[in-house]
Amino acid sequence: MSTILHLDLDAFFCAVEELHDPSLTGKPFAVGGRPEERGVVASCSYAARAQGVRSAMPMGRALRQCPELIIVPPQRSRYSHMSQQVMDRLHNLAPLVEQISIDEAFVDISDLCPDSNISSRLKVESLDTFESVAAGIGRKIQRQIMDELGLPCSVGIASNKLVAKIATETGKKGARGSSAPAALTVIEAGREAEFLSPLPVSMLWGVGPKTEEKLSSLGIHTIGQLATAGAENLAALFGENGRQMWHHARGIDERPVSPEHTAKSISQETTFSRDISDDKTLERTLKELSVEVGKNLRREKLAGTTIKIKLRWPDFTTLTRQATLPAATDLDEEIFQTALGLLRKTREPGAPLRLVGVGVSGLGAPARQMELWGAQTEKQRKIQSVIDDLQARFGDSIIKKGR
Amino acid sequence: MKVTVLQENLTRGLSAVSRAVSPRSTLPVLANVLIATDEGRLRLSATNLEMGITCWIGAKIEEEGSTTVPARMFADLVNTMPDNQVHLNLDTRTQTLHIQSGASKNDVKGIDAQEFPPMPVPDFDNAINISVADFKEMIQQVAFAASTDEARPVLMGVLVSVDKDTVTMAAADGYRLSVRKSTLSAVAPSPVTAIIPARALSELARIASDGEQQVQMVMPKGRGQVVFRVKDAELVSQLIDGTFPDYQQIIPRSHKSRTLVSTASLLKACKQAEIFAREGSNIVRLNIKNSGELQPGEVEISAHSEETGKNETLVEATVDGIPLLIAFNVKFLREVLEVIKTPNVAIETSAPNAPGVIKPVGDEHFLHVIMPMHLG
Repeated sequence: MSTILHLDLDAFFCAVEELHDPSLTGKPFAVGGRPEERGVVASCSYAARAQGVRSAMPMGRALRQCPELIIVPPQRSRYSHMSQQVMDRLHNLAPLVEQISIDEAFVDISDLCPDSNISSRLKVESLDTFESVAAGIGRKIQRQIMDELGLPCSVGIASNKLVAKIATETGKKGARGSSAPAALTVIEAGREAEFLSPLPVSMLWGVGPKTEEKLSSLGIHTIGQLATAGAENLAALFGENGRQMWHHARGIDERPVSPEHTAKSISQETTFSRDISDDKTLERTLKELSVEVGKNLRREKLAGTTIKIKLRWPDFTTLTRQATLPAATDLDEEIFQTALGLLRKTREPGAPLRLVGVGVSGLGAPARQMELWGAQTEKQRKIQSVIDDLQARFGDSIIKKGR
Repeated sequence: MKVTVLQENLTRGLSAVSRAVSPRSTLPVLANVLIATDEGRLRLSATNLEMGITCWIGAKIEEEGSTTVPARMFADLVNTMPDNQVHLNLDTRTQTLHIQSGASKNDVKGIDAQEFPPMPVPDFDNAINISVADFKEMIQQVAFAASTDEARPVLMGVLVSVDKDTVTMAAADGYRLSVRKSTLSAVAPSPVTAIIPARALSELARIASDGEQQVQMVMPKGRGQVVFRVKDAELVSQLIDGTFPDYQQIIPRSHKSRTLVSTASLLKACKQAEIFAREGSNIVRLNIKNSGELQPGEVEISAHSEETGKNETLVEATVDGIPLLIAFNVKFLREVLEVIKTPNVAIETSAPNAPGVIKPVGDEHFLHVIMPMHLG
């Protein structure tokens, strides 16, 4: 029997901004682009949520909803640095960690918990019931992330990924008020279906608005109703997806926690809050993205031969251009120079862009081609590893390469 | 100008000069081929200002003259001519070239030959003479190791040095080095050292046909150019300015491990490994296992890719010295094995992070150095 912990950082971007500017604490504010720049809310504080502001809302509407809303421009590198700090702590908790987004991850904590079936049978002898042990682990990681990093998070623990994630969500929804929920919800093995039963079908993975509508027309609104609809009926209506849905409705999910080691490419992109036509700004962004990609490659102990850029024009047409290097790289500067060459070849100076991205594929072990007259690169490599080390310990802003 | 030429001669000539045409230049005339009568023959020239090729073909000349016409279009036209005889007739006033072959009549708008950059007319009296067969083999064994990275112009060239009766070519792209020597039939009038673009040498190897005896090379004083002459053709190239890095210093003087292996078997194993390696970081691993007292040694050649799978081949070898696991860019290893003519090849190295030296067994004239891949 596995035990899976799902962790979701509460209003992550806002929490990070509060650390940088404590005067924001308790105030309604949102991280995102300015309304005159077509900005949307990327994350909003709980005080803002209490006034009806939601993520992904256009900033203009958010301001009408909450006129005293403070708008904070996003600081990407801050978030990814803090996210990494959180993930490092999860890796220390247990080896199997699957990061699903910048602020969310699964951890397989099976080895840390007593087998829940056995413990419930032996309840009399053992005081360490599954529930108390699991809750203890959850509380411990929440406290550690709060104490060491100052970030609130919500945790769900269950026998599989599906139920653990929904547990986190229900915990967050249950908490009301203007501070972070920091919820902890543990679902004991065997009670998954019971837990899911009253919840709306839309909380299941794979049930989008269309499916929800179709189910609703059949009188199916809750997950419990879905579970009694029968696998064959659902398969007839929705195909293989329907069968999957029925399993999920009964709290069954067999997917293991899979750390992303088989990544086929590593990339970073950024959507501007308004179209950018300034060459300098674009090239600086490209540099930041390249640095981020390089760092991710080195952290994953990978290197790649193909450098790719992604560009989106104001009319939303998107194109990618790639170049292949003679040898695999994980060096920021080499990634940047190649990406810059591609950008300059693809884009007229001054042409506005909505989005730029940088990626590296053709990944393999970070073997590197040694050079005949190679003293220079060896030096660059040593500098890079010192920078990485400093940034990992003190944050990205501790040291930067001069331009 | 009024001339008659054979279609096959024209096709051959146009093909020889075609690689020097510069179709996207800001100077329109560079996309054209020069056609000029020249002492009873027809001269065809093309240039991209860095490299120029001239070729002479037999023709029946009724009226002297010259013009230039779009190279690509002219070649396509000639290739589809219905008759073996092609008549060229220039209207000098309009620079329109009338081309007739059988029932096909064409008018092609040209650009005045005056606008075509003049080609050098060097003096070949003090030329260095090299056998075409030797020279072609040298180019084939060296030019591929030159860099294609425009950021390092010096390495895009081949260092050619002539001293007394020895000619040496060396090229390196920063990761590998190819050096080949050859002996001249006559002592050169004076020592010469120059960096010649690898591309120009490859073109020379292409246009010099095997039956020809000698290639003549001259570097007219103060012009920064080299001119090669073979039968019926000349190639002129700008030399690359700069200092070629000292390559003698990076050729290892000793080794701790020497592996003798069949060139064909190793090449085959590399080609297979490349099928996997090219999906990832291009790495081939050579696990060199010592020969024991009585059993032979062997090399295990392997490659794997995160995405597609893995490959492994055992090749028999004679191994002297320490056993070793060394990794190379498989393309580099394959490319050098493809130009080695001897049945056996030796790989000499000292450590996984030390250069690998590849030598044809029984041929002292060729040497290749590949830097290994460092496995992180």
